[in-house]
Amino acid sequence: MKRLWLSTMAVAALAACGGNPTPATPGPGAARFPGAVTSGGAGTATAPGPTRQVEAPPPVVSSPGPVTGSPIGAGSVENINDNSPLKPVFFQYDSDTLDEAARKALSDNAAVLQTNNSWVVTVEGHCDERGTPEYNLALGDRRALAAKNYLQSLGVNGERLKTVTYGKEFPFDQGHQESSWSQNRRAHFMLTAK
Amino acid sequence: MRRVLVLALFAASATALTGFQGQTIDVVLSNTGSHPKIGLPDFSASGGNASLLEAATTLADVLAFDLEFEREFYVIPRKTSASVPVAATPEALPIERWTALGADYVLVGSVQDLGGALTVAVRMVSVRTGTPGKVGWGQSYNGCTLANIRYCAHAIADDMHKSIRGVDGVARTRLAFTSDRAATRMTGRQTGNAGAGKEIYLMDYDGANPRAATANRSLNLGASWSRDGQILAYTTYVSGFPDVYLASLFEVRRPMRPAAGDDRVHNLFPAISPDGTTVAFASTRAGSGNYDIWIVNRDGTDLRNLTPNTKDSQESVPSWSPGGNQITFTSDRAGSNQIYVMNAADGLGFRRLPATELKTDTPRWSPAPFNFIIFVTESGRIHDIAVLDLDTMQTRILTDGVSSNTSPTIAPNGRHIAFVTTRWGKEQIAIIDYPTGQNMRRVTDAGNNTYPSWSPAPGK
Repeated sequence: MKRLWLSTMAVAALAACGGNPTPATPGPGAARFPGAVTSGGAGTATAPGPTRQVEAPPPVVSSPGPVTGSPIGAGSVENINDNSPLKPVFFQYDSDTLDEAARKALSDNAAVLQTNNSWVVTVEGHCDERGTPEYNLALGDRRALAAKNYLQSLGVNGERLKTVTYGKEFPFDQGHQESSWSQNRRAHFMLTAK
Repeated sequence: MRRVLVLALFAASATALTGFQGQTIDVVLSNTGSHPKIGLPDFSASGGNASLLEAATTLADVLAFDLEFEREFYVIPRKTSASVPVAATPEALPIERWTALGADYVLVGSVQDLGGALTVAVRMVSVRTGTPGKVGWGQSYNGCTLANIRYCAHAIADDMHKSIRGVDGVARTRLAFTSDRAATRMTGRQTGNAGAGKEIYLMDYDGANPRAATANRSLNLGASWSRDGQILAYTTYVSGFPDVYLASLFEVRRPMRPAAGDDRVHNLFPAISPDGTTVAFASTRAGSGNYDIWIVNRDGTDLRNLTPNTKDSQESVPSWSPGGNQITFTSDRAGSNQIYVMNAADGLGFRRLPATELKTDTPRWSPAPFNFIIFVTESGRIHDIAVLDLDTMQTRILTDGVSSNTSPTIAPNGRHIAFVTTRWGKEQIAIIDYPTGQNMRRVTDAGNNTYPSWSPAPGK
């Protein structure tokens, strides 16, 4: 056994690579975009979904696009999430630091949460595909927590803010370049109860 | 020396063979060091129907893969020898035909249907000049069925490796892994980008027989095995947050949740101690917002933080030393993610391992009796699998710098490493030899496949 190792080791040592990385140009199927996912819509059409609560069907919501004019808190949890007034917060690579734009988005979100003071929200931490999956799971938690802590500092009750990390498991944009990665490094807000 | 001992043991049990006796010593001693060149024709299936004939071919195909995998035998390609007539007995073996192909030995195998169960027998026959027709090693197997015929072939391979080469094979081991192949929509709208749920699967080490081990349409990842192969520990989001579950593979019982996670206490990456009593994992339980390494008894008692003094850093992915005295893990306390080691009992002896200048992650300690740690290096978008030899404290990159190669797991015989690679587009599981890094084989296909964990060998 040891003999085999020694004999082959020399060959292996640095015979590595040389290139032809066969990048296999990713693009698995049509690229999906954040807005286009609308899993709620697709799911409603096909799957019966056991708990599809329909509370007072709001007439306006059937049309996509900004619901200017209607009160922000109207509609079911799912409908609100499909066109959420809570803005995602974006991060730099391998960072959980809130920059100017992030703080601005969070103060807007804080205002929404103050207006709708019964809302309970889950803050999801997401990462881009660089970095190992294991590392990104821990990083995602930090991002979610950074957003939560800032909202709390603006007066939102922490009891209404839950956090979860999804690391790089569920990218919003399936691409493999910075324009996609910047979309995927985010804290995303999901209304879970109202 | 060790090999001789193994052979003596085998000789003592040779009376268990049915119908023939092994003359194992001759085979092995005449081949010490070299790799026997072996012919592997279809098994004979005298009087068999179509399905038995198919089983006879499957036995030889699977066995050929298993033998090539360990590289202890040189297998004459089965296509090359396809025209040589199959012999039902050693006496009927067309010796000259095999000699012409350069064979030292031919494995004469048979499968018989004795009404329900199958009996499979193998004999290793010398075709060398001087000892042509001499039966070297043999074994017979009851309890094989058409349904488990691949497992039957794997058992033959493990026996051949152990008896003839003194090597512990891994042909009957399995890999646990995470996959989105079922493409079920995640239930409960748990994420803003609810893609497919990811379940934990089990498959044979060669990629055959994949089947789901979880079915909760949530996110399940980071599986690892107890050393007796009875329990699978993993991270699941089934309650909406990551928590550690321990599931019994062979008994019907509710999974245990010893880390007792909740909305605020997130638990990741469980690893069961070698003695099976304790689980190490990463947890936010301390409330600092960062993960620490915690341990807990399997029943949930004696929950302890092993890294209480690292509030500002992230500690994760624990892996036990073979003796259970130490834990290797990652920490970013030095500014970037690096691999560390500490005492499992009290968290003392916390020290950084010499690795590389690059970011490192996911250390995995080798099983006994080996003494190395596999980990991942990061350089931009490139990740490679690397090894730290604990005898020399030298590190070396094992993979080829192509794409992202992450989440390594070590075969129980220390001779192979499975990991995730993106070189074929999606995330797929590949296996390379250790320590050469050569002979890459792809073992998954459908969907994205991540977080592999190699099972222990049966009977260990």
